[in-house]
Formats: sequence, structure tokens, C-alpha cells
Amino acid sequence: MPRNPTELVLQKRIVTCVGSGGVGKTTLAAALGLEAARQGRRALVITIDPARRLADALGIGALGNEPKPIPAGALAALGVSSGGALFAMMLDIKRSFDDLVERFAESPEAREVILKNRIYQHVSDALAGSAEYSAMEKVFELSERLEYDLIVVDTPPSQHALDFLEAPQRLLDFLDSRLVQLLLHPAFAAGRFGFRLFQRSAQRVLQLLERVSGLGFLEEISEFLLAFEGMSEGFRERARRVRALLLGADSAFVLAAGPSAEGVQHAALLLTRLEAAGVPLAGVVVNRVRMWPGDGEPPARIAEGTEETAALQALEQALAASSGASYPAQEAARAALAAIRTYASLVRSDTQTIAPLRSSALARGLFWRRVPELPHDVHDLEGVSRVATALVRPPAEASLG
Amino acid sequence: MAPQFPTAAALRPLLERRLVIVTGKGGTGKTSVAAALALAAASSGKRVLVAEVGRDEHLPRLIAPGSPPVGYAGRELVPQLTAMRIDPYAALGEYLGLQLHLRSAVELVLRNRAFRQLMDASPGWRELITLGKVWHFEQMRDPRGAPRFDLLVVDAPATGHGISFLDVPRVVVSAVRTGPLRRNAELVEEMIADRDRTLLLPVALAEELPARETADLVAKVRGELRIALDRIVVNALVARPFPPGLEDLDVQLARLPAEPRWPGLPPPPVIAACAAHLRSRYELNRVYLDEIARSTGLPVVPLPFLPSGIRGPEDLRRLAEPLLATPVAVAA
Repeated sequence: MPRNPTELVLQKRIVTCVGSGGVGKTTLAAALGLEAARQGRRALVITIDPARRLADALGIGALGNEPKPIPAGALAALGVSSGGALFAMMLDIKRSFDDLVERFAESPEAREVILKNRIYQHVSDALAGSAEYSAMEKVFELSERLEYDLIVVDTPPSQHALDFLEAPQRLLDFLDSRLVQLLLHPAFAAGRFGFRLFQRSAQRVLQLLERVSGLGFLEEISEFLLAFEGMSEGFRERARRVRALLLGADSAFVLAAGPSAEGVQHAALLLTRLEAAGVPLAGVVVNRVRMWPGDGEPPARIAEGTEETAALQALEQALAASSGASYPAQEAARAALAAIRTYASLVRSDTQTIAPLRSSALARGLFWRRVPELPHDVHDLEGVSRVATALVRPPAEASLG
Repeated sequence: MAPQFPTAAALRPLLERRLVIVTGKGGTGKTSVAAALALAAASSGKRVLVAEVGRDEHLPRLIAPGSPPVGYAGRELVPQLTAMRIDPYAALGEYLGLQLHLRSAVELVLRNRAFRQLMDASPGWRELITLGKVWHFEQMRDPRGAPRFDLLVVDAPATGHGISFLDVPRVVVSAVRTGPLRRNAELVEEMIADRDRTLLLPVALAEELPARETADLVAKVRGELRIALDRIVVNALVARPFPPGLEDLDVQLARLPAEPRWPGLPPPPVIAACAAHLRSRYELNRVYLDEIARSTGLPVVPLPFLPSGIRGPEDLRRLAEPLLATPVAVAA
């Protein structure tokens, strides 16, 4: 596994950024893409519904479902020399899933039935992960075109980061299940041993639901399942290949996290799950961390006890000298001291909050990066560039106590 | 600098509603707001039910830390305040059991994985059965015939689809002609659309993505739903970092000579950077607070960021006063 972000973008063909919503996955994906371009590679960043202004900065404000190049002039200003190139695209998930149906449907009629079916309209929500899966499907398609050295993917925010791997199997299991077979082929399923008790209960419940709903519930489900069943072979084979690509030697995952206690807990859980699923993890990146200006940790004591009076006096005199006699220097000195203490406590609290995640990342041999909180939201290439710099040249960090 | 908003008079106070549905994306502090509202209402003498929707329980540990889960059955956590969790499958089981008189058969079917997947893939029933349960509580009467609960607070699911949750009854009423489902949906729809009784209370953060999502949510509610919406709660606003008159303290600090070392203090450039961080965080927060107010055209209810987090009833009480205060309208 690559030991740092630069090796990551040089060695791999697919890099997937995972994490919960709002932790800066899109920015991370863009920054990794930029680093790849700086290293002379042709990189494509695929994103899903990013913050609008970042999308504008990347030139992908409109949904296109096709990659667009970042202008060479803009890249040159960010230190990308000739040879390197950066493309970006915004993925239209609904359309990608529709594309799947189009490809695998047995006949034009079956395709129409599926696309118009109300159950289908909900299936991408309900069979959690279908959206993630269709994103990965698009990645597969683009990787087969061999136009890019590296594809960086920003996954949709998800409670279950593994959904994109598990969704196809879940769908296939569902189609193979006894209940569904009962709906599809009542005569066949009824012959199976031990099925009758379940069948009687299930039928009564389903009949009741049908009667209560009056929505043509069963009819619609059967229609959807029958049409979908014909797709399952092509779907199964394709899902197997997508999975092999993502878990293979050319692929790596980076986990993004936010600096809150909740964010860290969620990331730690995700880390365990990804590992259990055999996902090739390379690193963990925590975004928007408050860091001490310059380098290192905040001082343990800030003008405490007897030092306080002297410190306030020194500050007051310096402010009076530089800001003029009419400036309320005494009050300003007090406010400045409060500001140092407040910010130092925020920095300490962030360091403490993310410490457990850092330990588990380092214990697994993953690279660990903190991206400092920037004074403004990242919504231009300049901001992306600053994040990339933080990934490549990390500030010093105290050793694990 | 912080804009001073005129106050929006003539809004009906939150505590005079019968049903408040708190909505917002994960991470906005929606559950804390629901808990703070419920606790404040109970403290003011109202009989309150607070319900969260889904599989996990977050409310009990905020309202009464250390208490066991309340579950679907619910429990009085503090005097006058009952909390419960509406699990759609528990509600479905209850309903099917009542209809079929076959508890064991119903449970067998409900435990079946494929049945669950079938139900998971089926639109609408979860929302309808959840809202139906809320309607049931709204209708409950005590032995004297008065409403069992004066105020119901629902912590709505933090789904990606936001408020489509509330649209289901209307869709069902328009799609189904007769039957128990239609009657149920009509009653629920009547409750939701009653602008005197019911309020949708969105909770947002003053950050880029949540601000945009809030604007989208409000546009969608106005376009598609009949539920009342009269304010946006903007949570976790950081406090003004410097006293009045010292707004550019970081700039003044940046002018200090870089060399001197003072006792117990970091060098001046570090001091200036600390101040600049606090100021930009505060100002960014204000930019998005303004944007939320402007893009929605609704008065906002600013809630303070509590540096130590929200861990229990003491913290909830600190949110109560600003939450119940008259919202402020944005200046034109």
C-alpha cells in the first residue's frame, strides 16, 4: 500500500474517497486529483452533488455525466506542468441507474415496464446503496476506456459506506428469496418442504396489505420483479467485475472524517467495516481541523497566575504604541488574551477528539493527514490547492503519547 | 458586522402549537432542538409527547441521561414529558396483529428478510404509519375528555429526501378512492395541513451546504406541501469573538512587531493568527445566517454554539430561552 498521498496517486488507477456527508470528501477528491496532475498524470475527479461553488470552480456546474477538462492555464497557475491534466465530472446517479436498466433489460418492453414502475422509482432509495452502486458502475465504464491514468471518486454520503459493494448482491438475494419466488412462481415455490406455514402466513399478510392499501400493491411488485428477473444474469456478471476492480490491486480507498466527536466515532466504525470487507484502505484524512498557528501544539500554560498581569501590560503597551493613543489598548489586550486561550482550547479539543482515529489509522499502517480549517469554505481551485498542499506536506504533529 | 434584525411580531409562539415536526439533516442538532423544545414545554406545565422516528434512540440520553431506552411503548422521562420511538415495523406489527388476530403468524412474517426487503422497497407505508401513530396520540383523551398531550414534538427522520415524509398522505388521498387506507390518510393530511395546530420547524447550520439545503427545503415545502412554516432555527452560532468596538482586533494585533517575547504569551504573529481564526469563523457563520434568512424569506431563530456540546438537560435548558424567543426577521 502507498505510504503517502503522492505515492497513492502515482501507484493506483482508482482512488475512492469514503465518509459521511459534509466531511469534505469532494474537496479531498479534487485535491488528490490535483496532486496527481502535479505529478504528471492524467487524472479524472468524479463527484456527486458537491457544494455548488466548488462545482463551478471545477467547471462542472451543470450535470453532464461526461468528463470536462480543467483549463490548462488554470492548472499551470497551480503548479501543473505539461503532461499532467485534470478532468472533472458530476455524476447523475438517477441517469446512471437508468442506463443500467437500459443495458440489461431483456427487451424494450421490459425496459419500459421497469422504468415506469413505481416500485422502481423507489428501489434506488430502498435497496440502500443502489445509488452508490451505479456510481461505481460508471467508474468501471470510464476505467475501461483507458483515457485516464487515475480516477478519483467521491462517493455519495452514506450511512453504510459499503453499500456500493453490497447493493448488487442484496438485489440478487432479494430476487432469489422465497417470498419473491412465491410472488413470481407460486406453484413452484409451494412444492418446497417447510414452506407451507410461512406461505400461509405470508399470503394472509400480503392479502391484508393489498386489501388495506387498495393501491394495486402486489400487482405492481410482481410486475417489477418479473421484468427485473430477466436482467439478473447480465447484472450479476457486471457486478462481479465492478467488485473485482474496486477490491483489486489497482484500487485504494481513503477515508475522510470531520473533527467532531460524532464524526470521529462514525469514521472509526467505517474503518472497521471497510477492513472487515477486505477493502484496500490507504489512508485517513481529517478535514477542517483547528491547528495551532505555525506548528506544533498550543502551549500548556498561557500567561497564567503571576504572569498574567505582566503579559496584559506588555500587550497593552505594544498595542497603544502601534494602534495609537485613542485605541482602547487595555480592553484590547484583555480580549487578545481571551482569544489566544479560546483558540488554544479549540485546538486542544480537536486534537483530543481525533486522537482515537489517529491511533487506529497508524496502528493499521495507514497514512494519516489533518487538513487545517481554512478561513473560508473551499470553493475555488486555490482552496483545493491549499488542501492538496496540506496532504502532501503535513505540518508537524506531536508523537503518540 | 452582525446585522441587527427587526423582530418579527405576530408569529404564533411555538408552545401554542399542538404538533411541531422538527426536521433537518443529520448533524444539524435537530434532535437537541426537539428535546429542548419538549423539555421547555413540560417545564412550563404542558403535557408533552416527544417522538423520534427510526431504529436508534437519541432523545432519552439527552433528556434524562442514564435512563434505559424508551422503545415503542414509550415512558415518562421527567414529569409531564413522555418520550417514545416510532419504529415503523413495530407500528406495522401492531396494526397487522389487530387486523389478523394472529400475533405469532404476523411476527413470523415480519421477521422474514425478504418480506422486510419487499416492504423496504414499497413506497409510502412507513411514512403513513408513522404519521398515523402521531395522529393517534394527538387524538388521545384523558379520563376527563381533555387532550392527553398538549404538545407533540416529532423528531422527523433525517433522510436525504427531507420532507417527502409529509407528502405521503396527500399522495395517498389523491391516488386511493376508498378503503381504510384512504380514511387514515385523510385524517393525517387534515392534521398536517391544519395551519393553526401544526408547524414544520426546520433546523439548519450557518454553513455553506446546510444553508443551500435549507433554501431547497423551504422552496419544496412552499411548492408542494400545505404544512405551516414560519421560522428557521439556525443552530450552533458561534459567539462574537471580541467585545464591541474591537471588531478588527486581529488586524491591530497583526501590526505588532514580530520579535518581542512576552512572559507566558506566544509571539505576536501567533496571537494575531488566533484572533483572525476566531473572527473568520464568526463572520463566515454570519454570512450563512444572512443567506438562510434571505433565501428563505423567513425569520430565523439563532441558537448559540455550546463549546462543551449538548450532553444533558442542563444544556437543553440553555437552548430553551433562545429557542422560544421571538424570531428575528432579516432586514431588506
